[in-house]
Amino acid sequence: MDKVYIGVDIGSVSINIVAINKDSDLVFRLYKRNTGQPVDLVKEGFQELKEELGDRREIGGIGVTGSGRQLTAYVLGADLVKNEITAHAAATTFYYPDVGTIFEIGGQDSKLIIIKNGIPVDFAMNTVCAAGTGSFLDHQAIRLGVKIEEFGRLALQAKRDVRIAGRCTVFAESDMISKQQYGYTKAEIIKGLSRALVRNYMNNLVRGKQLEGQFIFQGGVAANVGIKAAFEEELQEEVIVPEHYDVMGAIGIALLAKEEMERSGRKSAFRGLDFTQDDFFTDSFNCTGCANECEVIRVMAGEELIAITGDRCGKWSASIIDKKTREGRNYTRRTANK
Amino acid sequence: MKIGIPRSLLYYYYYPFWQTLFKELGMELILSEANSGDLLNQGAKEAVPEICVPMKVYVGQVLNLLEKGVELIYIPRFVSIRKGITFCPKFLGLPDMLMNSLSGLDGKILTHEIRSRTDDISAYRNYALFRELFQVSKSKLSRALKAARRDWLEFRKLQQEGYKTEKLLQGEKEKRAEGSLKIGVLAYVYNLYDRYINMDFLERLEEKGVKLVSFEMLDEDLINKFIAKLRKPFFWEFTNKLMAAGHYFINSAEIDGIIHLTAFACGPDAILGPFLDLEAQGKNKPFMTLRIDEQTGESHFLTRIEAFVDLLSLKKRSDQT
Repeated sequence: MDKVYIGVDIGSVSINIVAINKDSDLVFRLYKRNTGQPVDLVKEGFQELKEELGDRREIGGIGVTGSGRQLTAYVLGADLVKNEITAHAAATTFYYPDVGTIFEIGGQDSKLIIIKNGIPVDFAMNTVCAAGTGSFLDHQAIRLGVKIEEFGRLALQAKRDVRIAGRCTVFAESDMISKQQYGYTKAEIIKGLSRALVRNYMNNLVRGKQLEGQFIFQGGVAANVGIKAAFEEELQEEVIVPEHYDVMGAIGIALLAKEEMERSGRKSAFRGLDFTQDDFFTDSFNCTGCANECEVIRVMAGEELIAITGDRCGKWSASIIDKKTREGRNYTRRTANK
Repeated sequence: MKIGIPRSLLYYYYYPFWQTLFKELGMELILSEANSGDLLNQGAKEAVPEICVPMKVYVGQVLNLLEKGVELIYIPRFVSIRKGITFCPKFLGLPDMLMNSLSGLDGKILTHEIRSRTDDISAYRNYALFRELFQVSKSKLSRALKAARRDWLEFRKLQQEGYKTEKLLQGEKEKRAEGSLKIGVLAYVYNLYDRYINMDFLERLEEKGVKLVSFEMLDEDLINKFIAKLRKPFFWEFTNKLMAAGHYFINSAEIDGIIHLTAFACGPDAILGPFLDLEAQGKNKPFMTLRIDEQTGESHFLTRIEAFVDLLSLKKRSDQT
């Protein structure tokens, strides 16, 4: 039976699932918009995976990454849980051994990863401001009445340059409105916006760091040819968008899971593709044990309590280690998604 | 008499001194509660808005002591512990800031200036006012200061021998575990040991098999040697200590990487950070800045820590082969 390794990336805007075979070839990929119920979406995704790959494959290992990685990892019984910076770097260095710089722009964060001799040596991540990420572009596309898929191509049709303030998206928006009133076309506005986003990225993440080629641009926003062109203009260098730019995080974590399982010889802890039949739900309560009033999240699989997270002191999450199925305590159920 | 000590700022550096001093003088010491979401929120609400986060924490701690009904709150004015170098202006104006921003503090602040040539703050002249205030003899005060000095020196010695500061402050002794990676931390003690404000920074790194080194764990002579070598020292005492530790970390083969753990709105750090970042870059020493504030979300913070540890492990592995 052929072994496959699964990578899951739970982002704020999308959920990606991939599978690779023993030769690290991609055999399954799925990109889904995150509507806020990650457990349900992952369930659906795994149904598709099951249909496509059939029962003939053995799951050799599973890795989870992305901002929602912890919770999903519990539900899936993941073998490896890693942050998205490490995952992205792993995928890119696999496809492009000579990469020097990775620009990754996702739904709500942007990252810069610097690679030397195939290993990451430095990274930066946007801090408090989400300017220039996918969510902002989505919002502006709707405001301009342009489909997000068309957004980038339109930028390439611009005849004139218009400068849009890129320091802050709130100001960028008011700037766009006033530039529209001056009579600039939609295409020109979009081009100006793309350049502003790249400028913003350079100011907030690159901050004078020395960038070396190859330049790889990935993440959901890499679909936007306008932003790619703006990066190339800024750098005066070629920028490569990988074929699977939108699921690179998932590929990276699948590769890392494969490496880990092969190295350790462990057996995967994955709950199996049939986990979709199980009833998973999460609920939360506010612990009143101290002044921190943590929001504690409990993950249940059927009757079994499989994870507790969110308590800063470890009082609740430690209890699961002592006694896996502790009887429910005094709490109020907030959300239950069955 | 009940004397309150806010569990913040230099509590993490001088508490063993104060503890013995006031006990020897026959006072009852009350500590504010460990920092929490609740206390920080109260502090942030009452403090001057533009102040840095640890100062807001301090305000919350003072409010907590007022609630506990102490008679006096000890808020010394640290002016200088090294010739020509002072503390950050926020420390210089600390008693004034509190007096002018909180109500209910009238007559409740015990303050005096600390001026010294070294970190040892036991010189009698700084405490002369205690004689009248506590109605104690000169010899009793001298003896108390001597005992306080002894206990503080012991605390400092244990810190440098690798005992956990957070445990020592609670009267326990536990050595910090060795790790597969060694990270130098540039952080003021009140950011490094306040586990609420830094979201369990120490534990999270230790869990990952990282041994942390911070300036107070290094030999004081070494720090002073590096400070003496600074071409242009900063005006601020603890910033110089961090700068010295930074130079040591950058040039030490034992240190795998450096994390600058800094609080939002810290003025001195805004200057210190870029200096050391550039220098670390020149020496190929991985350097990361982590900024904490009263509303930092946890997930970004954890992602950065994790990614940095991964990066150091990969680098170490590739350097070895």
